Amino acid sequence: MAADFTRQIREKAKELLEGGTVECVIGYETGTDGVSARPAFVYDAADVDRLVFDNTCTHNLVKYLLNRKGKSTAVVVKGCDSRALNLLLSEKQIQRDQVYAIGVVCPGVVEWGWNRRSDRTQDRCGWCRQHTPVVSDFLVGEPVTEEPPAGYSDIAEMSAKTSEERAAFWKEQAERCIRCYACRQACPGCYCIDCFVELLEPEWVGIRIAPEENWMWNTVRAFHLGGRCIACNECERVCPVNLPLSLLNRRLEQEVVDLFDYRAGMSEDAPAPLITFKKDESLGIGE
Amino acid sequence: MSADNSPLVIGFLCNWCSYAGADMAGTSRQSYPTNIRIIRVPCSGRVDPLLIVKCFEEGADAVLVAGCHPGDCHYNEGNYYGRRRFALLRALLDFMGIERERFRTEWVSASEGKRFAGIITEFTDQMTKLGPRKAS
Repeated sequence: MAADFTRQIREKAKELLEGGTVECVIGYETGTDGVSARPAFVYDAADVDRLVFDNTCTHNLVKYLLNRKGKSTAVVVKGCDSRALNLLLSEKQIQRDQVYAIGVVCPGVVEWGWNRRSDRTQDRCGWCRQHTPVVSDFLVGEPVTEEPPAGYSDIAEMSAKTSEERAAFWKEQAERCIRCYACRQACPGCYCIDCFVELLEPEWVGIRIAPEENWMWNTVRAFHLGGRCIACNECERVCPVNLPLSLLNRRLEQEVVDLFDYRAGMSEDAPAPLITFKKDESLGIGE
Repeated sequence: MSADNSPLVIGFLCNWCSYAGADMAGTSRQSYPTNIRIIRVPCSGRVDPLLIVKCFEEGADAVLVAGCHPGDCHYNEGNYYGRRRFALLRALLDFMGIERERFRTEWVSASEGKRFAGIITEFTDQMTKLGPRKAS
């Protein structure tokens, strides 16, 4: 299957570059270890044979579209990545007519392994109910129909603990955070030119790497993705100290579904829940 | 938590309704606990979640956001946006170990001085019972 996907992507990329539809195709190529995929930028039709697709293609390539504003680009998207495309379209960060989406019905991706292919599928693929891209101009693979997401057992487990235990848990995580901001850099939804964490006036988060500052960073990072997180889980994957960031993201996702009946990135038109309102809604506050 | 072990409550009051309501509480000689530190903001919709998270980071025991009643916002819709934001933020803070009760949103109009005093008294009592924040 992987070989067939690779062939279809290469053919499409060649056609797009030769026909001048796009200037660049963003896809995956085999990395220096000969196994794991890495992002590839192909500008020349002669180079399309670099492109591959297999179950190590974990990166969310939509992030790179933010660096190519105003330039015609094709991008390979899995199901989750395609939701990021909708997110950026709805937030007017990219133009639909400048993006050509090569959708791939995702087989699920595996954990990263150096020099060897891991056989462990990533956790996010277990939760995922969007293996088929929600938006694509060309689809590789057969679309599958899926049930809406079920509940998360680890979130329920966490919610069942006392506040004290939860506070202790997150304090421990904050102590481990080194604030490298890899989570932010990998996230397609984090594109502010001036991130609050780097502002000096006001200085929301101090420069020192202290647990309380790290706590603030992780809390607000999660909240800024509230109703916007498209569940690609790249933030958690790239975290060098393995913080369980997806717990926060998925808790917010749940709450957004409960309060606003909204799932991010499912359509290009639906506004994120926090930039709109209903006059007569009851959200359980101020009542 | 202040030196005498009583809870520290930070209150963000909107200029047009709740701040005037607090003023009304004063001019009508209502008494309420001094645990609340009031910060005057133009609108409850101006209260960035960053401000609230920052309060908790810096050690506040509780945060109150008070604004005009829905439908009465001076800017027509500021408190509607705020309402959504605070509802979501409260769920996140709860998940991170800050009890739901510690972050409260109330609608207080300029004429509700007595009600404002009542809210602060009740909120402070509740926070005293709950005790200081744990593990932070």
